[in-house]
Amino acid sequence: MQSDARDISYADVNRDVVRSLVETGRTYYITLATAITVTLVCFFFPWFYQLYYGLGAAGVNHPGVWGTYLASFIFWIGLSHSGTLLSCVLHITNSSWRKAMYRSAEAMTLFSLVVAATMVMVHLGRPWFVHWALPYPNQMELWPNFKSPLLFDVMAITTYVTGSSIFIYMGTIPDFAAVRDRTTGWRHHMYVLLSLGWRGTDTEWNRLGWAYTFLAVLIIPLAVSVHSIVSWDFALSIVPALHQTIFAPYFVVGAIYSGTAGIVTVMYMLRKYMDFGQYITKLHFDNLGKLLLVLSLIWTYINVLELFTGWYSGTSTEYEALNYKLFGYYAPLYWEMILFCAVAPLLLISKRFRTSFVPMLILSILINIGMYTERFLIVGTSLSRQYLPDAWGLYVPSLVEISILIGSLGLFVTLFMLFVKIFPSISIYEVKETLPEPEDAPDPAPQIGAPEWQPTR
Amino acid sequence: MATNALGLFHAPATALAAAGELKGAGFARPSLMSPIPIEGVEEVLGENKSVIKRFTFFGAIFGGVSGFLLAAGTAVLYVHPTGGRPIITIPPFLIITYELTILCGILATVLGFFISSRFPAIRERVYVPEAAVDKFAVTVVCDDTESFRRAEAILRGAGAEEIRELTEEGS
Repeated sequence: MQSDARDISYADVNRDVVRSLVETGRTYYITLATAITVTLVCFFFPWFYQLYYGLGAAGVNHPGVWGTYLASFIFWIGLSHSGTLLSCVLHITNSSWRKAMYRSAEAMTLFSLVVAATMVMVHLGRPWFVHWALPYPNQMELWPNFKSPLLFDVMAITTYVTGSSIFIYMGTIPDFAAVRDRTTGWRHHMYVLLSLGWRGTDTEWNRLGWAYTFLAVLIIPLAVSVHSIVSWDFALSIVPALHQTIFAPYFVVGAIYSGTAGIVTVMYMLRKYMDFGQYITKLHFDNLGKLLLVLSLIWTYINVLELFTGWYSGTSTEYEALNYKLFGYYAPLYWEMILFCAVAPLLLISKRFRTSFVPMLILSILINIGMYTERFLIVGTSLSRQYLPDAWGLYVPSLVEISILIGSLGLFVTLFMLFVKIFPSISIYEVKETLPEPEDAPDPAPQIGAPEWQPTR
Repeated sequence: MATNALGLFHAPATALAAAGELKGAGFARPSLMSPIPIEGVEEVLGENKSVIKRFTFFGAIFGGVSGFLLAAGTAVLYVHPTGGRPIITIPPFLIITYELTILCGILATVLGFFISSRFPAIRERVYVPEAAVDKFAVTVVCDDTESFRRAEAILRGAGAEEIRELTEEGS
């Protein structure tokens, strides 16, 4: 890689990361309070309102029965994709530039999945019966249908949440131990429990290395399967524009694309507000920018292919769906998506752009706006134009749905803000691995046991 | 009572060399504590076999078999004929099989990691907090005072900055 700042010592890494956990400024509290308020007011309040008055409070109705809830579900699942997947791929390919950023990217995965699962709950009319989707013997002999893509979803997402949580936790055990030794009070007790008694012996490192690699190998195909399965929720229907074999790779690429853009956003925030400028450098933005460029080209190719397939099918229903997508009621959204996700990312060809922090932040946000639009269009345009004209109809989200969409963002930010105060946001031991190995002669840096190494409350 | 001689080193290469010397002098396998994984430990101290791969393999097999049985068993228990299609349909059930293969593989890997690393640690073990920051520690079990002195001499000769005598409880 490596880190741009060559003068960082091992002790500096410990100190900086512990500082990010124990020192909390006003900005943090203000952001957290805002995120919690948005979550309560925009997410939970409208949801309870909808539970009280019924699903009619949302704009979903025939034929637009999925609406923004399902679009948000796909969006958040998609956003979850890059974190753990990218981390696993880069771990197996031994890419050292991953080390400063993967922890936060994995956290993004985890919390996106939590928000995605919540969106399913919101879309359910009676979420208290969600356990009916789980396979267990019961007196009503109500067995789930394992041939349904919805059940595939339940299995895949449950596995992905479990795998992602374990992956992020396993990778953090050595860091919990490092933080444990420098904290006191309730934090110390918490990290004693979380670190499980880690000492950093060669046997422990050996076991962690094996386990971590096996987990990475298992999670890569899992991540690909999750979004493929989400795509089958749509592709296994016979709705024109949805019933396509390209949907699985289309969804997977779109998911990795939006997830990578999400990582850029998160990296910018961590760099700026957690003071990790020494660790999250231009190199990371440059590499993420290259990745985004490749993904945008693949995504664009698949979009062109989707149009071509519709045109080449020669069927009137596909023609109608195509025409409606390009020139119908939702066409402005389609062209906005093309602008944000296919045209604007061409700027990434320039290295100067890729290594400029603010432009990268703006582009990453635009890409995710475009990707949300893509998910909305998949749900909105396809259901609006099915086979018979008497089944046609428009879907427009209600205030409740729009509010819940904004609230879901608040929920994600809340969870992430809590995360950065419990989990070390960058990996202490892996960042150290990217630094020059200590030489025989001790440097004049402060020694262990000196006053600055006393536990920090 | 057996004690542990612990030497603190500044550089991983020196610590590893010291561990190799201790092993060559007939001590039980020394242990290294470090803030990062050290390359080449197995070449010096011998292979450190891990059982984790067996856990992963058998966990994944168990998950795959139970996934298929869950889906197929459910279909047989609650027969729902659709258009003359088979009750046990392979393509959709393979997806459930696939997901449970991975889920159980993951859970078994974690179990294997915990067991082979003896986590969570219930009792106190030899530990120095510096090894989580920027020092590399070599520890070796010494049966008596004489062997501790020998270990101390080897560690000091190898360039240890500091030598400590630690017991399991008094770490």
